[in-house]
Amino acid sequence: MESGDEAAVEKCRIHLRPGTLRDAPPATLHLLPCEVLVSRPAPVGRFFTPAIRQGPDGLEVSFRGRKLRGEEVVVPPGLVGYVMEDQGEVVVGKGSSEGSSNDNEQEQEAPERDFDRFIGATARFSGFTLWGLETIPGPDAKVRGALTWPSLAAAIHAQVPED
Amino acid sequence: MKSGLMFVKLVNPCSGEGTIYLFNMCLQQLFEIKVFKEKHHSWFINQSVQSGGLLHFATPIDPLFLLLHYLRKADKEGKFQPLDQVVVDDMFPNCILLLKLPELEKLLQHVTEEKGIVREIDKKKYYKYSKEKTIKWLEKKVNQTVAALKTNNVNVSARVQATAFFSGDQASSDKEEDYICYAHGLVSDYIPRELSDDLCKYLKLPEPSASLPNPPSKKVKLSDEPVEAKEDYTKFNRKDWKTEKKNNKMTAAQKALAKVDKSGMKSIDSFFAAKNKKKT
Amino acid sequence: MDLRELDRDSTGLCRLNSPVPAVCRKEPCILGVDEAGRGPVLGPMVYAICYCPLSRLADLEALKVADSKTLSESERDRLFVKMQEDGDFVGWALDVLSPNLISTSMLGRVKYNLNSLSHDTATGLVQFALDQGVKVAQVFVDTVGLPDTYQKRLQQRFPGIEVTVKAKADALYPVVSAASICAKVARDQAVKNWHFVEKLQDLDADYGSGYPNDPKTKAWLRKHVEPVFGFPQFVRFSWRTAQSILEKEAEGVMWEDSLTGDQEGPGRITSYFSEGARVRPRLPHRYFQERGLESATTL
Repeated sequence: MESGDEAAVEKCRIHLRPGTLRDAPPATLHLLPCEVLVSRPAPVGRFFTPAIRQGPDGLEVSFRGRKLRGEEVVVPPGLVGYVMEDQGEVVVGKGSSEGSSNDNEQEQEAPERDFDRFIGATARFSGFTLWGLETIPGPDAKVRGALTWPSLAAAIHAQVPED
Repeated sequence: MKSGLMFVKLVNPCSGEGTIYLFNMCLQQLFEIKVFKEKHHSWFINQSVQSGGLLHFATPIDPLFLLLHYLRKADKEGKFQPLDQVVVDDMFPNCILLLKLPELEKLLQHVTEEKGIVREIDKKKYYKYSKEKTIKWLEKKVNQTVAALKTNNVNVSARVQATAFFSGDQASSDKEEDYICYAHGLVSDYIPRELSDDLCKYLKLPEPSASLPNPPSKKVKLSDEPVEAKEDYTKFNRKDWKTEKKNNKMTAAQKALAKVDKSGMKSIDSFFAAKNKKKT
Repeated sequence: MDLRELDRDSTGLCRLNSPVPAVCRKEPCILGVDEAGRGPVLGPMVYAICYCPLSRLADLEALKVADSKTLSESERDRLFVKMQEDGDFVGWALDVLSPNLISTSMLGRVKYNLNSLSHDTATGLVQFALDQGVKVAQVFVDTVGLPDTYQKRLQQRFPGIEVTVKAKADALYPVVSAASICAKVARDQAVKNWHFVEKLQDLDADYGSGYPNDPKTKAWLRKHVEPVFGFPQFVRFSWRTAQSILEKEAEGVMWEDSLTGDQEGPGRITSYFSEGARVRPRLPHRYFQERGLESATTL
């Protein structure tokens, strides 16, 4: 979202294609306790999924010769998980017309807005498998704490009562 | 093509840095974006691996926190001004989108004095920042945050490590002052330092040592069960738009950039996609 | 040998055993321990025990058991069948340690080296015989590591038993030779019928001896590197040969206990704030720090 210049004016808007939210197919997600240094296609269904075992204290699998132990995490009620993907820059005059009918901020600025970008959801999820290195992540896992944020945020940002 | 949903960068009222927010123009709502970021994580997403393991949370934010930044800035001129002259920003011109949010007049009552009668001709209201009103408004924010901290069983004790070994109800043993301090700290993440200090004095809290970095808190006691949000989320559900979480897809190239000399390269942290699906 | 349990799950440990001959519960027995497949980078390692009453040792010797390495595969198979037929006085038990178990043990946060794994497995099998009621009087073990320390440890663990740990025990003592045959037969069969946990197409089985210095094995490893997952779990990831191929030909993976030059320590809360030289004006509230949350400044 930043431009190369130091004090760049942040004009860019990243439009989320609403149709992609409607149509996003469900995805299977695993959060691993290691950083794979690249993002790329990977045969998860051939190498990883078939190796998952239900152990006495939860799920077990291994990755790169290391033992992982895991558990299912659900997205809190009221939220939906989406996998988002950059869908490129605006191509002026060639943009598709999906979902623009209810737009109350029409394209009067069109010529100026060619620095805008689009993203879209490629998938949705309602939970994921959380893996720990050799131990089950458990209730103290940071990401579990993070998932409690929306309910606290709702309280902080609710309108205050009138006097 | 434009959708009603867009991410823009606006000034963060706490840090003053550019920060991502999400507008839902259809529902006329503003969201802040928090990102879960911990070392040594990656995603498997279907048949792919995604470095970084980021998880973004989009949650509604009270736009008054952002407006307050501009109202305080404009107050240096010491006069009543119409909102569209207040909310201007050379660095973050998208701030004008804030003006499209609903019920601004009602919101602004909490933090400004207003005049509307004199210039009724152009139907503009004129506002002036009021520190007194703002502090009272923030006090209410702190109070409702305290209530939520209690229902959500957040461990607010400063003695985190000492209490981490107690399993059950240490939350009930936390002192009221701990809750207020903690809530003050949370609300302070949405206001400038100066205002945070004023609020601290107003609430008669001890000197905010809490704002010092890193309390010794490796073990976090969290509520055992995710607590249902008190807020009714169904109102975000219309048009299939829910509070949104997402995975940040980064390019392989971006990852590589971290190791590469960045000079002369444009836009290092621009975008996520592994593959750009440019549609025409 | 019925290795069906191994087929069902080739990711952990699989124990097989013969019925205990009734006489072994009555008379003092001699028990041999040996292993097969310790060195290879591929497939499981098998530990076996074989036992018979001291009074029947001559009958066991009469089978002409010998160090399994000196026998052909068919001779080993024939001898194993013979031992089965002599089930009225010869008993055996074995543990198949999957390559995945070996990898995850050796690569664990707390490193569990192959010697310890071997010692513990051997000890476990002797204990298993005792638990089954075998009257073990003497134990003969082919050494792993230094024979003296190993012998001391075993002797301490089994004070009532006369323990002998010796190099080349598999050639010296028929009961150890018998154990080595059990282990080798199981290992060969497990490797031959290896049930890959992964869904792999057109996997070629021409991996040579499985020993790291075999060019065929090395070529097979190189051919079957998967950039993200590395190898199938048939491979012992903990072997240097496997690791150096991964370093060169697979994507990098960082664990919190990975040793790197720039690491400040495991799981540091503040580490990402110090990236670059930029100092944040204020850290986020501890609520956010404890949950790894921060305001997004980029997408």
